Amino acid sequence: MSVDNTGGETVVTVTEVAFDEAALTGLEQVRARSADLFAVLRGEEESPASRAVARDDLVHLHLSLVEHCARRFRNRGEPLEDLVQVGTIGLIKAVDRFETDRGVEFSTYATPTVIGEIKRHFRDKGWAIRVPRRLQELRMQIGGATGDLTQKLGRSPTPRELSEVIGCTVEEVMEAIESSHAYATLSLDASDDSDDGPPAMLATLGVADANIEHVEVRESLKPLLDGLGEREKRILLLRFFKNMTQSQIAEEIGVSQMHVSRILTRTLAQLRTSLEQD
Amino acid sequence: MVEDTAGVRADVELRLPAEGAYASVVRTTATGLAARLDFTIDDIEDLRIAIGEATALVIPVADPGTDLTACFFFGRATLRISLETQAMDDPPLDTESFAWQVLDTMAQEVSAGPASGRFSVSFTVKSQAAGRTTGVEL
Repeated sequence: MSVDNTGGETVVTVTEVAFDEAALTGLEQVRARSADLFAVLRGEEESPASRAVARDDLVHLHLSLVEHCARRFRNRGEPLEDLVQVGTIGLIKAVDRFETDRGVEFSTYATPTVIGEIKRHFRDKGWAIRVPRRLQELRMQIGGATGDLTQKLGRSPTPRELSEVIGCTVEEVMEAIESSHAYATLSLDASDDSDDGPPAMLATLGVADANIEHVEVRESLKPLLDGLGEREKRILLLRFFKNMTQSQIAEEIGVSQMHVSRILTRTLAQLRTSLEQD
Repeated sequence: MVEDTAGVRADVELRLPAEGAYASVVRTTATGLAARLDFTIDDIEDLRIAIGEATALVIPVADPGTDLTACFFFGRATLRISLETQAMDDPPLDTESFAWQVLDTMAQEVSAGPASGRFSVSFTVKSQAAGRTTGVEL
C-alpha cells in the first residue's frame, strides 16, 4: 500500500471529518467518511496517487463489515481468517464497482458482494470434488424424503424406498449420497502418502498427558517439602533441579560430600515414609 | 482369519492394488452392494465408515506392490466383508489404533490379524430393514 508518503494528508481528512461531525453516530460517521472517500476516488481532477489512497482507505474503513459477514459463516469447517480474506476480495470488488449516483449506501451495496464471495469460496473450496447442481438438488430431495420416510417406517429408509418416493433410480440416489461425502472423504488414520504433506488427522489428536499422574505426587509432596529444614531443602534443590553432583553441592554448602550424601538419603527416606503414610 | 467364510465362494470379489487411492473403490462397491441388498441409509453410512477404517488397518501393513482382495458375502439381511492383503512379516493387529476401535464399534463379528503371510480384516454389517424382500436372489 502506498500510504506512507501521502499518509499525512489522509490522516488530516479523518480529523476534519471527525471534528465537523462530532455529533453524528459511529455509523453515520462511517457513511460520511465513505462518501467523502468515494468523491475522491471518482473525482476526475484527483491525482492517481490520492485516488489509490482513497481506495485503500475505503477498504480499511469497511473491514469490520467483512468480519461481520465472515462471522456468519464460521463453524462450517473453514478458518475464519480465510473467510475474512476472501470476503475482503469481495469488498475490494465492491469498492471498484460501486456507483455513487445510485443513491444507496455503500454498505448496502457491498454486503451481498462480500457474502457472495464467501459463498463462492465454500462452493469452490469446501468440496473435495465439484458436485454438479443436479446432484446437489437431488441430495436436498433425499434429505426431505429421508425425514418423512423415517417418521413413517420407524427406521431409516433404504435407497430403493427413497427412489420410489422421489421418482428416480436407486443408482441416482446412491450417486447423490456419495456426492454428499465429498466434503470429508478420508479416514482419520489416512495421510496423503507424501513425505512433506500434512500428518494424518489422527496424529494431531491429543492423548492423555503422561505427566498428569505426576500432579498428584507433586501436590502431596508440596506440604512435606515445606516441612523440611532450610539446609535439606537447599540440598534437594541443588541435586534435583540444578542437577549438581554431591561433591559440587558439598563445595557449595561447605560440608563434606559424605555429609551431603547422608542428608540426601535421610531426607528422601523421610519424604517417602511421609508420602506412604498419607 | 476368514475361517467362518473359508471355502465359501464370495458372492462378489474385488482385487485391486493395496494403495490408499483405491480405498474409495472398495467403499463405493460396498455401498453399492448394500443399496442393492436393501440396507437402510443409516446402515450404509455405518458400512461406509467401517470400510474406511478397515482399509486403514489393512493397506498400511500390505507389502509394497501387492494386491488387496475384498470379498463380499451376502447373507439374510447381512453383508460380510473381508479385506485381505499380503504381509510377509506378519504385522500384529494394533487394537489400540483408532481405526480398530471405530471398526469394532461400527460392525459386528469383527476379526482381524495376521496369518501365514496374509493380513486380513473381516466384519459383518446388518440391515435394519430386515424382512423386506431384497432385490437379489440369494
